[in-house]
Amino acid sequence: MTMSIRKTLLSASVSLFALFAAQAVSAQEAVFVLNTSEVGAPTYNPIKANNLNKATTLIFDRMVSQAADLSYHPWLAESWEEAPDGMSWTFHLKPGVKFHNGEPFNAATIGPWLEAFKGSENAYMTEAIAKVEVVDDLTVKLVMARPEPNMLYNLSSSFMSVIEPKSYAALGDNYGVTEVYGTGPFKLESFTVGQETVLVRNDDYTWGSPLAKNAGPAHIAKITFREIAEDSTAFLELKTGGVDMLLGVPADLLSEVKKEPNLAVLTLPGQDVYYMPINVTKAPFDDIKVREAVAKAINQEEILASVFGGIGSVADTFLISALPESHVADSAKIHYDPARANALLDEAGWVMGADGVRAKDGVPLKVSLWTQSDSIFRRLTEVVQAQLKAVGVDAEITTFDSSMIRDQYKTGTQQLAVRSYDWDNADIVDWFFGADRLGYPNISMFNDPKAEELRKAAMTGSKNMAERVANFTAYHEYVLTQFPMAPIYQPVESVAYNADRLVMPEVLNASAMGSVAVMDMEVKE
Amino acid sequence: MTLPAPLRALRRPAGAPAGLWLILVILAAIAAPLLTPYAYDIQNLKSAWQPPSASHWLGTDEFGRDLLTRLIYGARTSLSVSSIAITISVLCGMTLGAAAAWFGGWFDRAVTTVVDLTWSFPEILIALILVAIIGPGTTGTMVAISVAYLAQFTRLTRAQIMTLKGETFIEAAASLGAGNGHILFRHLLPNALAPVLVSAMLATGDAIILEATLGFFGLGAQPPVPSWGGMMSAGSALVFKAPWIIIFPGLAVAITVVAINLYGDALIAELDIRARIRRAV
Repeated sequence: MTMSIRKTLLSASVSLFALFAAQAVSAQEAVFVLNTSEVGAPTYNPIKANNLNKATTLIFDRMVSQAADLSYHPWLAESWEEAPDGMSWTFHLKPGVKFHNGEPFNAATIGPWLEAFKGSENAYMTEAIAKVEVVDDLTVKLVMARPEPNMLYNLSSSFMSVIEPKSYAALGDNYGVTEVYGTGPFKLESFTVGQETVLVRNDDYTWGSPLAKNAGPAHIAKITFREIAEDSTAFLELKTGGVDMLLGVPADLLSEVKKEPNLAVLTLPGQDVYYMPINVTKAPFDDIKVREAVAKAINQEEILASVFGGIGSVADTFLISALPESHVADSAKIHYDPARANALLDEAGWVMGADGVRAKDGVPLKVSLWTQSDSIFRRLTEVVQAQLKAVGVDAEITTFDSSMIRDQYKTGTQQLAVRSYDWDNADIVDWFFGADRLGYPNISMFNDPKAEELRKAAMTGSKNMAERVANFTAYHEYVLTQFPMAPIYQPVESVAYNADRLVMPEVLNASAMGSVAVMDMEVKE
Repeated sequence: MTLPAPLRALRRPAGAPAGLWLILVILAAIAAPLLTPYAYDIQNLKSAWQPPSASHWLGTDEFGRDLLTRLIYGARTSLSVSSIAITISVLCGMTLGAAAAWFGGWFDRAVTTVVDLTWSFPEILIALILVAIIGPGTTGTMVAISVAYLAQFTRLTRAQIMTLKGETFIEAAASLGAGNGHILFRHLLPNALAPVLVSAMLATGDAIILEATLGFFGLGAQPPVPSWGGMMSAGSALVFKAPWIIIFPGLAVAITVVAINLYGDALIAELDIRARIRRAV
């Protein structure tokens, strides 16, 4: 008896020792928690995905990198020239770049990579390219079908992460799920959809973006990205040391994070907009007066203060305010105006009843208001419901599971909804209001001939950046005046980390958390 | 004079506090508008997150609504949804079970097979699937709960009828020329009723939890109508900032379900039917 106890103790202490030893060797390991909006991303295939998580930015590199001021810088392309008429682009590629499976990255990569976009979810990104000419081993010329002033933005987007064409062709739908090969600073070790992704360092990596200080391989040897659907659970994990960083912290938890002495918060400009799509085809919203009224019934300031604790800012257009295309005429901006909302509803024939609900010809003004099951959306939607009630609109909330709501939108039966998107280019107006995407993404079922004309000019009729900005501003402005949605709120992106474990770069010259930040990040030993 | 069993159960040591709590909750749910000066759906964002105080006994929620008011109205939702659902479930289950036992043959086999199949899935799974099909809301929740518990009552009733079927008094009724309907409704079902009713009562406790679970996922009563599960769900995101929002509805669910079980146990003891329930379920 005594013997066996002693044995157990001995083996326990041995394994304890082994544990410490293992920890000493692999100290440069970190566990990150993905933003809740990225939970459940089903693949790392950037071409076919419409939702990519942050780990994607570490597996792949891109041709061009974008700095904090949204300017463009070299990455896998060392330099580039655009023809004066915008009808061709020449890219000079970085030498010595290798994919994770040993294949070289060179001019021959570009043709099959761009070809793979045809017919995919993200085909619009390469639509303007007519053909790819290989000039020499490290030079490619893209011959354009029309000028594409958005070329550099597209090349800096995570959806244009450079894939390895041979394995991409060989693996088919498994590419991005079971195996994935890029040129990035980390290689995929394992991926379980909805649970976790384990990345290990690419020790050959010497071709990082010049925006990062570190030009060699990353300091961290292994990163585990965990997917936790509930923000408060993720916060508890951070607080108790189970994870090292949360890539997204909602505004209402920030005050709790700041209370902890060992936790720190890093704030980046946000790329999300919360808004209320209005289905223009469903009565009573086929009447523009009713649309304008519900849009102006939304009290953005009150929502910012009460739901988001004053962190972030109100939204008064469809685009994040960092984009030049958001500078529309003041008259087109959508602000809270209860007097106007009430007047418009009166004008449209909806008379206020004794129960606080308006009615027209005996029919009460009752509409549906869809939301998704994440707690922040449910909370926001309840405030929106109360604000609509204040002008006599009785909105009935229906909550859908976040992963199912897109299919529900495709039915086109929605009236109002509360949701958000995450994008930092004006072409999102095209994505959500283009007449060829009714249902989802065009939740508003918006199909307006004048908007389509302006949209065409904005998407394909611009020769250079200045023209594109002007065209998109006009398109965006016109869409706003038709009230297919009401803007609500723009958050900032807050990252919380354990300052006892992680050392963040002092200056972060990137438009979002991603490869540039992780390259310079270190884990304390 | 002997009191009826439900009242006798009230005199038992565990049955007394449990029964009183249930009576209190039911009365509160019925008299909700008279008990509180606040409305459950009027937001007052400036007074959000207030801890319990003299004016708000249980504090306020994230929209500045009085938590006690919402708890009382939530009792309405939780109790009505679960008891209506269980009533439907009992009625359908008894009819199916009795018919299966009495007619036997292929009909019995078909019913037993289907019931045993649903029996093998957890109730929450059946409920989630049904709510996904019907759509969220109180109606969806009610249907989901009734179907989820249907198997239990069908099996229980069938087992009761099977044992009663061979008794002499049934044989006597049949030989006197009584029809199927007469025997079923006059002789068999009344004798099978007590165990079914008691297990229905215990199932109501489970149904409250199931309703709260669906509410927690946002699939139950839709805002601003309060339900205990929905309130807990809202509170779970704010558990650090305003713990009372999740604690009080949680306590309400826990105490009510414990009370139902204690009272149900007392009732079983009074009716002396433990063995009959155990044999069937």
